[in-house]
Amino acid sequence: MTGLILKDFLILRKSLRSYLFMLVVYTAIAFSGVWSADIVGVLMVVIVMLLPMNVFAYDKQCQWDTYGLALPVGRTKTVAARYLCVLLLCLLSVALTSVLGVALFAAGRVEEPVEFMVSCSVMGLISVLVNAIMLPFLYKFGPERARMMFFGILGGCVLLIVTILFPLGGLSWLKSLELAEPTLRQATIVPAVAALAGVALLALSFLLSRHFYGSKDV
Amino acid sequence: MTNCIEIKGLVKEYKTFTLGPIDLTVPGGSILGLIGENGAGKSTLIKSMLGIAKPSGGSVTLLGVDPDHAKEDIGIVMDDCFFSEYLRVKDVSSVLSRVYRDWDKALFQSYLDKFSVAGAKSIKELSRGMRMKLSLAAALAHRPKLLLLDEATAGLDPVVRDEILDEFLEFISDSDHAILISSHITSDLEKVADYIAYLHQGKLLMYDEKDRLLESYGKLVCAKADLEQVDRGYILATRKSQYSTEALIRRRSDFKRTYPRLTVEPVTLDELMVFIVKGESA
Repeated sequence: MTGLILKDFLILRKSLRSYLFMLVVYTAIAFSGVWSADIVGVLMVVIVMLLPMNVFAYDKQCQWDTYGLALPVGRTKTVAARYLCVLLLCLLSVALTSVLGVALFAAGRVEEPVEFMVSCSVMGLISVLVNAIMLPFLYKFGPERARMMFFGILGGCVLLIVTILFPLGGLSWLKSLELAEPTLRQATIVPAVAALAGVALLALSFLLSRHFYGSKDV
Repeated sequence: MTNCIEIKGLVKEYKTFTLGPIDLTVPGGSILGLIGENGAGKSTLIKSMLGIAKPSGGSVTLLGVDPDHAKEDIGIVMDDCFFSEYLRVKDVSSVLSRVYRDWDKALFQSYLDKFSVAGAKSIKELSRGMRMKLSLAAALAHRPKLLLLDEATAGLDPVVRDEILDEFLEFISDSDHAILISSHITSDLEKVADYIAYLHQGKLLMYDEKDRLLESYGKLVCAKADLEQVDRGYILATRKSQYSTEALIRRRSDFKRTYPRLTVEPVTLDELMVFIVKGESA
């Protein structure tokens, strides 16, 4: 199974380098004060959403699945390896965003470090959530169709917000809640809860993907 | 000698195509050549044997056990390289050494050296022939007992094909080893195969020892009037043109004794396939 995880990271090597470069550029922009530091977290979510799609597309390009199923690994472990790879990518993205957050804080570009920490955890959870939804689609329909469907769903959500939420006053109701600034204790609980929720979501998603891949003829 | 492959009543059903039922046995120390036109079901058979495509019925035993338990001892090469272009040649060893229990990095490197494949190169930079050699090195480096090769020599030049065929012959010098090789290049199979299985539209039309198959069939070229005198029991298929009449004859020796005046030539696997696919059944 570790061989399959390594394979995913090796084929992502080039993409990871490109995304890392983008991250450096966006961090530099955040350092310059043009954009808020939150942009780094948002970019991380987008990157972690795109990377698994790339792995599926690269695998399809070389018909890896046919070869992969001839290896002494089994379908369940093959799916598990992909999920562990995604989980590692999410953890790496949270760790990297935190490191960049510290750097931005040291440069005086993050005024509320506790808020930034909470924001990192939420971004991490969103990365996991996005992948938990997307991976079963990728296993069921393949990278091309799943990508279209997923962006269709995202577009649908945006359309829903624009047509329903905005006429009702947008997200102004959030302000009415008058949420207090998170305390340090709350800020430490949020990452733990986010991590647990993320793992639970991925576990459910894994069962679904395993079911799809288990019955698939390659 | 034990059987390395035992297939009993294997069936794989798709909406528009059905493979089988297939019954095949490949003893250790031998090579089975699988022939058939495009879409005959050769790749489907190999995939069904490994459970890559789930069989609709029948049973498969590889190396005496269920296919899932035999995969550590199976090497597979398909008609193209399965490794992503984004990998380097040496990455293949890093990945597969964590997959196969008996992966031998030194053996893999020795095959790369033997085939002149540079380990530092990215797979994108390799020619088709080099990629096939890489696939073969990867299939052999965990010391398998059974090789399943699907069009593994397609698109290779005769020199490379010859090198690879020699490798196969060396592989089956161990009586515990066997190879199933599907190929359109029937001359390769005539050179190395011990058994020939002929798939046509998902059905196994012929399965026999290669020598016996080539000895028992023959090609009769004669005038239309002569062919009409021949007992229909000898004729498997005929091809008629404006200028000649050809027939695929079974029981060649017997035929020669019965019709000494008519000339029957040995038949090649290519001719056998063309007669069966394009000829008129007798």
